[in-house]
Amino acid sequence: MVFGRFVNWVRNFFRLRQDISLGIYGCTNVGKTTLANRISMDWTGEEIGKTSRIPHETRFVQKKEKVLIESDGKKLNINLLDMPGLATKVDYRKFLKYGIKKKAAKIRAKEATKGVVEAIKWLNNVDTVLAVMDATKDPLTQVNITLLGNLEAKGIPVILVANKIDLKGSKPQDIKEAFPQYPLVEVSALKGTNINNLYEAIIKHSRKAK
Amino acid sequence: MKKKSKTRLKMDFVSSVALDGKTGEKKINFILNKVKDGSILVVDGVLTPNEEMNLIRETMRRVDDGFPGIEVCSLKKQLKGWKQFFDTLSNGTEKVSNSLWMGLTGKPKKTKLKTGITLIGPAKIIKNIRKNPDSFSVLAEA
Repeated sequence: MVFGRFVNWVRNFFRLRQDISLGIYGCTNVGKTTLANRISMDWTGEEIGKTSRIPHETRFVQKKEKVLIESDGKKLNINLLDMPGLATKVDYRKFLKYGIKKKAAKIRAKEATKGVVEAIKWLNNVDTVLAVMDATKDPLTQVNITLLGNLEAKGIPVILVANKIDLKGSKPQDIKEAFPQYPLVEVSALKGTNINNLYEAIIKHSRKAK
Repeated sequence: MKKKSKTRLKMDFVSSVALDGKTGEKKINFILNKVKDGSILVVDGVLTPNEEMNLIRETMRRVDDGFPGIEVCSLKKQLKGWKQFFDTLSNGTEKVSNSLWMGLTGKPKKTKLKTGITLIGPAKIIKNIRKNPDSFSVLAEA
């Protein structure tokens, strides 16, 4: 294990690694899995996970390894990591409103809390992060602020993704104004709008992109 | 006519002195113990980004039927120009000294809060926090 880490360190140091771990982070229901599915479908033809309007649908880290993306003749191998949504609260009662039975709602809540813990742990293993935000909602949430502050402190490159721009009332400019220091791509993961701009940004801003 | 029962809201204002000199783990325990007891905590300082993330992680570990989690909001002092440069430099130095300390002693180093203000409360009580770059408003209901 120690030797493996050393080899990885040498590879990273001399930029010998060909692939990067791309983590998709954000609050719940911002469209992280929809985006992961879009990326995965575009380059591998396979989806990565199930989407739902019920919060915390993704409660375990979902991976798709060796996804080769391309933009303007430049290629990058990514290990795509779709993270559970970050949250400061998980209330099983919220799930009851979606018709989930009490026992199942409690299990879902327990899994969701574990998912958040797992997503936070993974912050030590990602090379680049797509911080996904719902463009129809206020971006100045403490979860977003904490996530971006943490990534900055760790020196992990981050690309903001203003998702759901196909919806009425979306204001991607609010995200730009709230966090002007980060590169921002406006997309609709569901419809695929501007998705090529995202691939270009990933290749441009990723830490170990060649 | 049925009399409406009175509801109470407990707020604790904590000086940064009470948290300075504690390790990140002890700060988080202090905060979560108070919040889990139903208090809304106002601290005249802000946690480091790493401590903030650890607060979320620890909160998730403590979530149960009666405690769905927390609402948290902080305002940091915005630094510009040279002050920002020196702050970034001092953060970097602090990071190195913390890992050196951890490596040598095996124990986490005690850290000081940054300038600012933080509000942390139980999610059951705090219904909404609306944040602007230089202010925030809180809607609470006991």
